[in-house]
Amino acid sequence: MNRIRLTGLVGGLYLLLFFVYLFGPLLVMVATAFNSSSFPRISPWDCLTADWFVELFHDEKLLTGLGNSMIIGFGVVLVAVPIGLAAAMVLSQVGPRLRSVMYAMFIAPILMPGVVLGLSTLIFWDRLGTVFGADYNSLFYNGIFLTIIGQVTFISAYSMLVFLSRLQRFDPTLTEAALDLGATQTQAFFKILLPYMTPAVLSAAVLAFLASMENYNTTVFTIVADSTFTTVLAQKVRYGLNPSISAVAVTIVGITLLAAVLFESYNRYKKRQAQPAPAKPESTGFVRAITHPGFAAGSVILLAFAAVIWVNTYDSSICRAQVDAQKRAYQEEFNLQERPAEASPEATETPSAPAPKPNGSSIFAPGNLAPGTPETEPKSPSGGIFAPSNLAPAQ
Amino acid sequence: MTGITRFFNEFTERNGMPVAIYLLIAVSIWMLLLVALPQLTMLDFSFRQNLPPPQIGGPNDVYTLEQYRYFAMGNEISGSSFNALDISVLFKTLIAAALVTILDLIICYPVAYLLAQSSDAGAKRLLILALIIPYWVNEILRAFAFRILFGATGVINGFGMQLGLWDQPIDFIGQNIALYAGLAYAYILLMIFPLYNAIESLDKNQIEAARDMGASWVQVHRHVVIPYAKPGLASGATMVFMLTAGALAAPQILGGPSSLWFTQIIYQWFNNGGNWPRGSAYAVILLIVCISLVLMIMRLFKVSIGEIGR
Amino acid sequence: MAKDVTLDRVSVTFGDYTAVDDAHLTIRGGEFFSFLGPSGCGKTTLLRCISGFQEPSWGEVRIGNQNMKGIGPNKRPTALIFQNLALFPLMTVAENIAFPLEVRGVDKKARRKRADELLEMIALPDQGDKKISALSGGQKQRVAIARALAVEPDILLLDEPLSALDLKLRQHMRRELRAIQQQVGLTFIYITHDQGEALTMSDRVAVMSRGRIEQVADPKTIYDNPATGFVASFVGENNALKGVVLEKKSGQLLVDTGLGAPSIATPGGAKGENLKVGDPCHVFVRPECISIDMDTTENNYPARITQEEFEGQVRHLVVESGNQSLRVTQMGYGAEGAHLGDSVKLSFSPGKAIALPVGELASA
Repeated sequence: MNRIRLTGLVGGLYLLLFFVYLFGPLLVMVATAFNSSSFPRISPWDCLTADWFVELFHDEKLLTGLGNSMIIGFGVVLVAVPIGLAAAMVLSQVGPRLRSVMYAMFIAPILMPGVVLGLSTLIFWDRLGTVFGADYNSLFYNGIFLTIIGQVTFISAYSMLVFLSRLQRFDPTLTEAALDLGATQTQAFFKILLPYMTPAVLSAAVLAFLASMENYNTTVFTIVADSTFTTVLAQKVRYGLNPSISAVAVTIVGITLLAAVLFESYNRYKKRQAQPAPAKPESTGFVRAITHPGFAAGSVILLAFAAVIWVNTYDSSICRAQVDAQKRAYQEEFNLQERPAEASPEATETPSAPAPKPNGSSIFAPGNLAPGTPETEPKSPSGGIFAPSNLAPAQ
Repeated sequence: MTGITRFFNEFTERNGMPVAIYLLIAVSIWMLLLVALPQLTMLDFSFRQNLPPPQIGGPNDVYTLEQYRYFAMGNEISGSSFNALDISVLFKTLIAAALVTILDLIICYPVAYLLAQSSDAGAKRLLILALIIPYWVNEILRAFAFRILFGATGVINGFGMQLGLWDQPIDFIGQNIALYAGLAYAYILLMIFPLYNAIESLDKNQIEAARDMGASWVQVHRHVVIPYAKPGLASGATMVFMLTAGALAAPQILGGPSSLWFTQIIYQWFNNGGNWPRGSAYAVILLIVCISLVLMIMRLFKVSIGEIGR
Repeated sequence: MAKDVTLDRVSVTFGDYTAVDDAHLTIRGGEFFSFLGPSGCGKTTLLRCISGFQEPSWGEVRIGNQNMKGIGPNKRPTALIFQNLALFPLMTVAENIAFPLEVRGVDKKARRKRADELLEMIALPDQGDKKISALSGGQKQRVAIARALAVEPDILLLDEPLSALDLKLRQHMRRELRAIQQQVGLTFIYITHDQGEALTMSDRVAVMSRGRIEQVADPKTIYDNPATGFVASFVGENNALKGVVLEKKSGQLLVDTGLGAPSIATPGGAKGENLKVGDPCHVFVRPECISIDMDTTENNYPARITQEEFEGQVRHLVVESGNQSLRVTQMGYGAEGAHLGDSVKLSFSPGKAIALPVGELASA
């Protein structure tokens, strides 16, 4: 008995550690989005602020990138979904040996490194462009077009997988019946097969869109002069580290959670519709109301609105001014080579950890710079062979 | 030839002309225009000189092994006989990818096993959902999260120093710890799901029978669970290895000065180096190496390509 | 307008495997015609040849004297009721029925009207807007038939349509199908492995085994005058007595059947006529044609009852005589008759003993 408890304990502990590993970074990142310190951190905690979100929504480059990403996403859906469907249908019609060969061919783009897909696309269309003597404004060098092409190369394979599993459960006698009743093959395709595949079309479209939005390796080569959400984000992370990036994460998680809750409640709602009246009587009306999926959805939407309003109205400037003043005072004291202050930081209402240690690194620690300076880690030469790795100040 | 015409005729008859045309065009565009031709062009490019645009197609545009030679031998100026830098980077990338894969296997196997063994269906769904959440943010943000954690003024250093565990900030980044942790993290999902699916379908009675016969837990795993879950293992390992070896964002964001990734070199040749042919050659090398290793893994685990799918 | 269907030496082979071997017959317009045989006998393949999903490897299929070679299923005047019915799950009942009209470009109002007419005919009025999944098995059957009739085919093909139904429903549907056929006057081609269905519903039956057509005749003839051993043993219950022809005289045969004394039998069909003295043969006697308490001059043997089964309407006996045991079926309980262990007088009329050359029998 004890050994089982022990293994259960060990297992549970392991799972706990695992989920700490899995969620820890995220939680930290989410928390840093609300800290007014200009380098993402959670301790010391300066002020609760929504300013990073505001800054986010004014970030032109990011918004442009986001817009491009959406355009590319739609383009990818329009191309990859039909291709995936075609590939799945062809696979279902060929003999077994040809089928495994073709399957391997179709799956290959997923297994190839994204950078290879990206750069081969770039090279090919560049060459094609010179063959046609096209100029630089044309399609051949257009980042949006090339990115759509590059992403479609492997996203079609994803969409094919979605269609394959749906297609395998299709009853072929339905097509035969349609033919027997006088339909042409084309009619049978549009009236019998396609309606059956509709749920898969939706799944594949969503999958393609999401895969496109989050792609980096291929996009970074094909985007040429334009930008996408991910490339802008990557630039920011490499060169301009600040909590507005954390704010991006929070926004994404928030939107996804919202979508997930809405989706789940919609599913439950449909399930309840399909079922007849429940066998055992439900609990009181109040409980029923609370557990109604619509309630969950409604409350989440309300939360979302509340969040947006808070972002727009919460003013942390007072707190920040105080913190800046405190830091300035701190800086002066240090410059005067006196004992580091203990009392003054505690007089303010920052609810955070004790004063930073007065060791050599704190002078250079970005948090202690004079308030006006924009905080960035040391900028590195763009894209040199030694990739910008924001080195610790001690080095 | 008649075999092909017969195939076309049957195909058209079976699908009707419009649909048949759609199917053939879609698949051809995909395979030829999007996959085959670009790869061939890249291959072709890798055998060419790096010429400025006006000279392309001219007398200087001959086939050459120059780019590959460069990879192996390096600059003639440097005087050394091997391109130690690039070759070592390739090796380091592959070894790092292998290490990350093994790390992920070790981390994820217990989780997949425990998850598959638990009998509470509701808890399972919840756990699976919990596993997916971190992947809603894209890989850049995941790398960023690790950046925050492991930076010199990052959270871990901050806590460590506050708790008095150490005085100077530990250079996680320079030591590549950040990078490995970040890479292992990035692909956990891809390792867990194939493993979980494989282990889930194992009949629990087999494990009980083995235990009943006196096998220790180690033996049970070694002789019952792992052989059964091999396709899942191979599938997960393949995906993680390929993605890690081909990763670009994480090394760019989390990499220290000593951890150059092969993909970063390729990226350089295309951007600042301005040498597309050379970049192509390196890309070809990466591709060949990766595919060979994947085929080796598949042969080692005795799985076929049909079993690698999501 | 019902049409003839002619199978002109049709054979279908898949590689080395022969699914249909030289099928040659004509189904008359307006007939209810059944193909009867065990699974794998080729009847489904033949049906697919007629409906257009399979091209014969040899021979011709003609409908109304027109060669159907190269004409696809959507262009033939046939309609097929699939074994799994193949009703379109995403459409309502009315949409299913109207589908053949829809693909022919008939407009919505006319389609709906025709669908309603057909719904009336199959006794499901006002069910048009229901989903297929909401119907019972029997109702789905009728919808499948209505859908096939919507296109006004000349030939209706039915592929074991009743096999998924329970007994009572099957019996009910048999009568219904026959009624519909006679009402609409189409040629029905019906395939089944259930001889009860074939015999009760059909005008003529073709019995098939291993790709070959063993006999084509009306149900009575199939039953009373089987042309081959297979037909004799597959249709209904039959006793097969293995024996040797001793004499041939005035249209009858004297056969040593191992019952103790020789039996007088009637040669069965063309094959039976070819039997010569000394040939081995099977003599088939139906269980209900055997008496155990009559004094007859011919074919009378002392015997003993070794098994007795009471099955409600009838009782089954196993009676042994010589080195043979025969199944005997009697109406009723036989309160006054002989029972287990008793000695009886086994007898049957020569007209009911059919002698055929030794051949393949239907497996029990």
